[in-house]
Amino acid sequence: MNLDQILILVAITAYIAGALALLNYMLSRAEIAKRAGIPLAALGCVVQFGELAYRWQSSGLWPLTNLYGSLSLFAAMSVLIYLVFAFRYDLWFMGGFVLALAAIFLAYGLTWDEGYLPAVPALQSYWIKIHVPLVISAYASFMVAFVSSVLYLIKFYGEQRAAKAAAPVAASAPAQRSIIVGDAPNLERAAAGGSTLALWLATLPALPNLDIITYLLIALGLPLLTLGIITGAWWANEAWGHYWSWDAKETAALVSFVIYALYMHLHTRRSIQGFWCSWISVIGFVSIVFCYLGVNIWISGLHSYKM
Amino acid sequence: MAASPAARPETTHPNALRAACDDLLAQLSDFWFGMGLLAIWGLLTLIGVVVDQGKDAAFYATNYAPPLARLVLRLHLDNIYHSPAYIGMVGFIVACMTLATFKRVIPARLPPLRAVRIERIPLNANLVVAADEATVRERVETFFRTRGWLVRRRDLSGTEWTFADRHNWARRGVIVAHIGFVIVAIGTTIYWATGYSGQTAILTGKSVAIPENGTRLRLDRFAYRFDPIKTRSGIVYQPIDYVSDLTVTGRDGVPHRDVLRVNHPLDIDGTLYYQSSYGSAVRFALKKDGKPALSPADPLFEGDGFPLGTSSRTIRYERFAGTLDAKGGVAKDPRPNNPGVLLGIFDGDQEIGQVLLPLHRALSLGDGYRVEATGVTNFSGIQYTHDPGSPFVLAGALVLLAGLVISFHFVPARFHVRIESATGGTAVAIAATTVKGFEIFEEQFGALVGELRGAVGST
Repeated sequence: MNLDQILILVAITAYIAGALALLNYMLSRAEIAKRAGIPLAALGCVVQFGELAYRWQSSGLWPLTNLYGSLSLFAAMSVLIYLVFAFRYDLWFMGGFVLALAAIFLAYGLTWDEGYLPAVPALQSYWIKIHVPLVISAYASFMVAFVSSVLYLIKFYGEQRAAKAAAPVAASAPAQRSIIVGDAPNLERAAAGGSTLALWLATLPALPNLDIITYLLIALGLPLLTLGIITGAWWANEAWGHYWSWDAKETAALVSFVIYALYMHLHTRRSIQGFWCSWISVIGFVSIVFCYLGVNIWISGLHSYKM
Repeated sequence: MAASPAARPETTHPNALRAACDDLLAQLSDFWFGMGLLAIWGLLTLIGVVVDQGKDAAFYATNYAPPLARLVLRLHLDNIYHSPAYIGMVGFIVACMTLATFKRVIPARLPPLRAVRIERIPLNANLVVAADEATVRERVETFFRTRGWLVRRRDLSGTEWTFADRHNWARRGVIVAHIGFVIVAIGTTIYWATGYSGQTAILTGKSVAIPENGTRLRLDRFAYRFDPIKTRSGIVYQPIDYVSDLTVTGRDGVPHRDVLRVNHPLDIDGTLYYQSSYGSAVRFALKKDGKPALSPADPLFEGDGFPLGTSSRTIRYERFAGTLDAKGGVAKDPRPNNPGVLLGIFDGDQEIGQVLLPLHRALSLGDGYRVEATGVTNFSGIQYTHDPGSPFVLAGALVLLAGLVISFHFVPARFHVRIESATGGTAVAIAATTVKGFEIFEEQFGALVGELRGAVGST
């Protein structure tokens, strides 16, 4: 086993252990679980970047020319973006899901690892050092946004279910702690009644706060994706003589861009914020997965770089 | 009672027309109408992704179920991105977006300074300060000004209001982003009006003239390199380089040598030339009863064919194989070690068989016919583009990006402050609005109001 493989093994182990610790934190709010999860997440992330740097240094080949390299960066960037947001907005509750997804994507990437391969002529350009990291960072932002959207929807449906199970909360319910309206009074009541699931859901941030977190993550991802599409088009013009070929990857990236642009437009409308926007974020990430993996693996085209 | 013509207002007709126009403009700039158009555009684009584009009718007949193939061909879904419906839809969306920008986005993003009902805004607070109104106003304005807020005072219906804005300039971010789209559209229109592009294939040793500009390109040599790389799943022949050595004669009429590689286009008199593809053209010799029969004069490109004498049969050169293995199959190695050609044999339109034929070995086709691949010549596929609109496209893309960053990462906020004399001092009513709702500013609002209490000496 060479250093490269050892580092990846360490990263996956750290992500899995970190995911378990932060899932435990989300369920129990035990401070010790959080204290264990944060360094594990940071360790996995640092080790992964170290592995990519080692790969580059030892082979002299830019490591992002194949699916393994890009998936590795995707996992590392997802964790990095998550950590930055988690420190800023106290998002440790969702770390278990982010780290678990990062571990899954990284492990899946390993199945495409064929060792060190020189880049094909189309990829022999300085643009690969600009375009690929930008696009992968955008995907990573959308992945973290996907997690917060899913948590929003779980909490939303949990509240709906709790509302159905109980009589509606009386108008004289205790005043909200903040201006945030539409949080989960039924869940809180069900939690007080001893429901474990309701207790867990009630400890998640208020729905509007989850919505804002998703918004902020997409607000990071969309400009990155836009810049990625712009640099990709410029590179395509340099390599093939046209900005846009309606290649499957280009079209899928455009569709993803439109979905997230739609999200941003719809998010300006108060009646659509939250529930509908969370669904759009979920759909957007499905489109990103198709654009990223579906096109690379299943559809033959200008961007079918697997090995 | 019947109304006399004189009693009917003369302006009825123009007003009705104006109302209809207003209704139409309101409809075209309506948010959900725009979303509907985008959904239709998305559907058309999705069809373009799912349905193979730009293939001939035979391709759809072969690869699709008959009803689906007919549907694709009759509805022209085989070239959807260039269809009038698709282009028209894009144009219509751009027109509606422009209308919505001026009718809705700009008025909403740049609201005038106006009186508000403080208590109806979710982010609101009330302070009482034991000081006179002028002093409190001065303290409030100083508070915001020292924190970089733009402070303006207005007398609205007899009440004096103070407005404090942060990132007011960023309210224009959405407009900047949309202007970026317009600049991109200008760039593409310039290309459409004055640019051109095309492709050409040049055989080694031959020349071509680019029809649009008269530039002559001669391919002196084409070389490609594949390296065998050992991977975990076996040897992979990785393409490393494609190089065309050219002699170029541009506008000045002086031939000069140039090298063309992937990712390194040549700029000749403002037109860019790209290494886009390559291949092997093959020369064939046909004999009938041992004597030369009518053979193709030039080497054939993949997909080209020639008739078998006067018979109804034709031979099509399907594909070049760099290396044939010991069993006569195509080996993984694409390098020309033991080359061969894959031939398709047709009787009329019907393919009756395929043969893998080693180079320089004759194949008997019956009726005394024998065919042989006698030589291979590399060719280089070159793409060329003259695009005077590209600087606009780049500039537009950057403007779009700047607009997105401005509109996403700045939260323009406005404090509405009403200061009035009250019993025991001065009452300060504060509310805050942002272009992104209230929740996103709740924390900062609470902190700022807390600081303001201290700064104005609120009880």
